[in-house]
Amino acid sequence: MALPSSQQILAVLSHIQDPDLGRDVVSLGMIKELEVSHEGKVSFTFELTTPACPVRDRFKSQAQDLVGEIPGVTGVDVRMTANVRPAFMRPKPSEILPGVKQTIAVASGKGGVGKSTVAVNLAAALRKSGAEVGLLDADIYGPSIPAMTGSRQVPEQVNGRLRPIEAHGLKLMSFGHIYPGDQPTIYRGPMVGKAIEAMMIQVDWGQLDYLVIDLPPGTGDASLTLAQAVPLTGVAIVCTPQDVATDIAVKALQMFRKLNVTPLGLIENMSWYICPSCGHRHEIFSHGGAESAAKRLGVPFLGAVPLEEGIREDADNGTPVVISRPDSAGAKAFVHIASQVAARTSIQSFRQLPVINVH
Amino acid sequence: MEITWEDGNRITYSAEQLRWACPCAECRGEMGAPGRLSRVKTLIPEELSIKDVTLVGQYALQIAFESGHATGIYTFPYLRALRS
Repeated sequence: MALPSSQQILAVLSHIQDPDLGRDVVSLGMIKELEVSHEGKVSFTFELTTPACPVRDRFKSQAQDLVGEIPGVTGVDVRMTANVRPAFMRPKPSEILPGVKQTIAVASGKGGVGKSTVAVNLAAALRKSGAEVGLLDADIYGPSIPAMTGSRQVPEQVNGRLRPIEAHGLKLMSFGHIYPGDQPTIYRGPMVGKAIEAMMIQVDWGQLDYLVIDLPPGTGDASLTLAQAVPLTGVAIVCTPQDVATDIAVKALQMFRKLNVTPLGLIENMSWYICPSCGHRHEIFSHGGAESAAKRLGVPFLGAVPLEEGIREDADNGTPVVISRPDSAGAKAFVHIASQVAARTSIQSFRQLPVINVH
Repeated sequence: MEITWEDGNRITYSAEQLRWACPCAECRGEMGAPGRLSRVKTLIPEELSIKDVTLVGQYALQIAFESGHATGIYTFPYLRALRS
């Protein structure tokens, strides 16, 4: 029997559509190192745009089935890998965060909805999927990343640049690391901007697939500085379900839209609570507010996180819940959200900014 | 300066046009106070030649002129609406 040709194999693989990018996986360049042995064994590398790809397993079995059906194929070996692509074709090599491929901001507008909890667990979930991840705490007044990650050491200085703190496989930097203790940071707006810029420029972030940025509440200085200093891949907006929270989240989202930063979607935190003694599901802050707001605004709904004692406990103890209790409902929700965020950022790597030429 | 937009559309701008369109508070005026561009009739050549253009986040361009004036942040929608 004749051996199958590479063209034949690519032709069947081109039937696999990437649901997020809306194109087939062959034209997206995801199929690499295709080889056919003399015995009819086919092997190739399937390179995803993120290790946290939500359809990873489906892609693998689809590829195996489709290639396996070609006459003459005796075996299929699919190697799944991932290579996160940089967010934009930048006009010139960036001086700010040169080794960072994707920057994801976590914002809310309103305070106390769990931005930092979401940011820490999002970063940890992306790390668990195999990506290189950094987490920048842009909350100058109320830094909570050091406590939530159990990292309270002061960063070392090497050649005039700060080394990020390493914890749980993540690279971290927070004002709480630089100025530990209970002394407040008393800064006016412009100083906040400078501090955030310094954490991007003077910290040696190295090579990262994702840099998650935990923003303070509000639609002012910190968010503006960030949106002006780096081309953000996108912003994930966290809110709690009640109207008073979703209304402010919508304002934050609209601000980022004005700054041409893509909203990756809305996340609903404290979505429900399972009472440990009676087993009843309570919706303390209502339920579904973020999902309906997302629908109204035409942005994706990324997922809902329950109110769980474990999430709070582990945050206070310094370990993100996706690491300490991976089987809990909260951890599963965060992992789901991380894969949704990763999928949305992959779309951004195919987006183009205007090209500017000066003569 | 020439911009090729995401949809393939191309617009060419002259430095002079961009200088006179500078959206900064000094040039445009603020809080009822008229800006410099409404007071002056002519600008010297250094003010009309571009020294550098930098991307501001992903929503705007900051254009620096030879004279040192660089406070204008030209958003993409603003530039798109600006026609020669």
